[in-house]
Amino acid sequence: MNYPEPGVYIVDDDLSVLKALERLLRSAGFNPTTFTSAQKFLEHLDKNSTGCLVLDIAMPDINGMELQQRLTAQGSQLSIIFLTGHGDIPMSVRAIKLGAVDFLTKPVNDSDLISAIHDAMEQERISRQARENLDELQQRLATLTPRELEVLSHVISGKKKQANR
Amino acid sequence: MRSVNIEQIAILMRWVQLPLLVLWVAIVYFVRFYLKSGRTWLAWTVCSLRTLALILSFSTGQNLFFTEITHIKSIAIFGGETISIAQGILNPWYVAGPLSMLALVGFVVDASVTLWRRGTNTSRHRALIFSCFIFFLLVSVIHTALLNAGIINSPYFASLSFMPTIFAMSYDLSYDVLRAAQLAHRLQLSKTSLRISEQRMELAMSAAEMGLWEWDIIHDDIWSTNQGRELLGIARTETINFERFLGTFHVEDREPFKRAINNSLAGGDIFEGEYRVMLPDGLIRWLAIRSRIEFNPDGQPFRMYGVSIDITRRKQAELNVQKQRNELAHLSRVTMLGELSGSLAHELNQPLAAILSNAQAAQRILARKNADLDEIKEILKDIVTEDKRAGAVIQRLRLMLRKEEMYYQCLNVNEVVQEVLKFVHTDLANRNIVVNVNLDSKLPWVIGDLVQIQQVMLNLIMNSSEATAHAEHLEDRQLHIKTLNKGEVVQVSVSDQGHGIALDDMERIFEPFFTTKSQGLGLGLAICRTIINAHNGQLWAKNNAGCGASFYFTLPSTSGKNT
Repeated sequence: MNYPEPGVYIVDDDLSVLKALERLLRSAGFNPTTFTSAQKFLEHLDKNSTGCLVLDIAMPDINGMELQQRLTAQGSQLSIIFLTGHGDIPMSVRAIKLGAVDFLTKPVNDSDLISAIHDAMEQERISRQARENLDELQQRLATLTPRELEVLSHVISGKKKQANR
Repeated sequence: MRSVNIEQIAILMRWVQLPLLVLWVAIVYFVRFYLKSGRTWLAWTVCSLRTLALILSFSTGQNLFFTEITHIKSIAIFGGETISIAQGILNPWYVAGPLSMLALVGFVVDASVTLWRRGTNTSRHRALIFSCFIFFLLVSVIHTALLNAGIINSPYFASLSFMPTIFAMSYDLSYDVLRAAQLAHRLQLSKTSLRISEQRMELAMSAAEMGLWEWDIIHDDIWSTNQGRELLGIARTETINFERFLGTFHVEDREPFKRAINNSLAGGDIFEGEYRVMLPDGLIRWLAIRSRIEFNPDGQPFRMYGVSIDITRRKQAELNVQKQRNELAHLSRVTMLGELSGSLAHELNQPLAAILSNAQAAQRILARKNADLDEIKEILKDIVTEDKRAGAVIQRLRLMLRKEEMYYQCLNVNEVVQEVLKFVHTDLANRNIVVNVNLDSKLPWVIGDLVQIQQVMLNLIMNSSEATAHAEHLEDRQLHIKTLNKGEVVQVSVSDQGHGIALDDMERIFEPFFTTKSQGLGLGLAICRTIINAHNGQLWAKNNAGCGASFYFTLPSTSGKNT
């Protein structure tokens, strides 16, 4: 199965911050796509999109935390890095528990952000690799005859004798 | 008449004319000069006739009565004494005596009539006395004549008839003396009471720290009590004119005072005002001045007299109250800003975040071999913009946190509203509340303190936003802000669709320490009302027809002149 290239996405309602972040990530070698609202991002999102999302929390309508919940509900594989102007510990703990890769505060230092993105991308790559392996296995599994499947199940359960018969 | 021989009697009778003359003249003098009545020509007639009698007495016969006394008659009177009476040939010139008598009578009658006509009690009283006198006089004249003619026998008692007269005269004289003494005594009393009353007034004025003064406008000379001089710091001996008076005033108060005086002179009646005076040692005193102008028949002001009262203590208390009110407003402002601090911090954070990322991006770009300088230019431009944006947030914050005295200036209410909205923009966005703004394009200027009006607006918006906090439907999460030109005033309204105000609480919400929130002092609206009232405006609340409540406040419009 083909997966789209992992991308870097930035969602922030403040235009000047959005622009600055884009510049920064571009200068660091990434190719980010920017969105001014969670709504716009959801519209653009491909179900199979992968990669890293740099997400502001305080936004009108759908805020960052809500977006995270929705994405999880959709089964999205995106890694989320929260970037917020005012965050407290409970909020950050909740975010991490829900699966965020990192929780950074603005103004954010470039090295912090970039290393977080690299981590996210790495993690993403690992999980993608795992998914690809799984897919391959499943494909192969699909080619087995019913009898082969039976043998396989015995092998798995450790009944050598059964399998050899 | 105790003499026993003819010679003696003759001499006596001759000489008796002299005292008679003296008596006549005395009477005439008394009536003429003391009672001031009686015709002058009559007076002269009387005197001259009597003088004639005197002369005749010495020049004709033995005396005026008799040419020759022939014998002496002795008669007995009660008590066993004997007296002598002359008898003889009557002198034909005798008539001079009675004539002068008649003249005197005529004079006195005339005088009495004049006195009676004067109508006053005293003069009538005197007239009466003199009428009696005349009666006695006539009696004595007739008696003497009869006696001399030998018709009756009794002592001469002419002197007796004069006694009542003299008695009356002396009574009259002494009465006046008595009266004079009485009046003098009364004068003394009233002088004493005047002095006491003056002393009391001095005491009262000095206790009230009041000075009395009088300005002779035409000669430009001001008189003042000592207390008045002391209030102004002017020496007791110094002459004061208007310039000097004005010179004692505080520099800033001179023009207003001069203007007010000129207005008063132009046609006002009572002048009142409160001004500051600067004493030579630098001390400042507040005086309340109240005065009245007198105009002469041509309508020109010629005199102003007034009172100056030292109200420094009261004024100081007033200023203290105002200061405390300002401090309270400031405290309330700071508390409100505290509530907004989260969103304010966020507002500052955004530009800072943008600046940092921009700058670090620029660093990375410059680290490359072929740095795109155009992009660097763009980056720097954005950094500057963001910096200014942050600066504006700080500026707004500083303004609201300011604790200075009230500073009145011309304000455009629409601009004030827009500035306040910038303040709360983030907070409202966080709460998902939308603001609908409807500003009247033709708003006149108002005069007010920018910070305090912003405070009121901020407070109302925050209240409305809190009322909206629990509204479930998105359509209810709206605030409506409206400005309206109502001619005399500018009206601003802040409406929400929240939970509204309980009917019982409509007025109570403006009371201090009344709050429906779980936290909070309940001073916000009370302070807002104080502020609006100080601006001569009104602040009130109403429940909306649908849901939610609206708060209105008005500020008086100006004609657009700059302060």
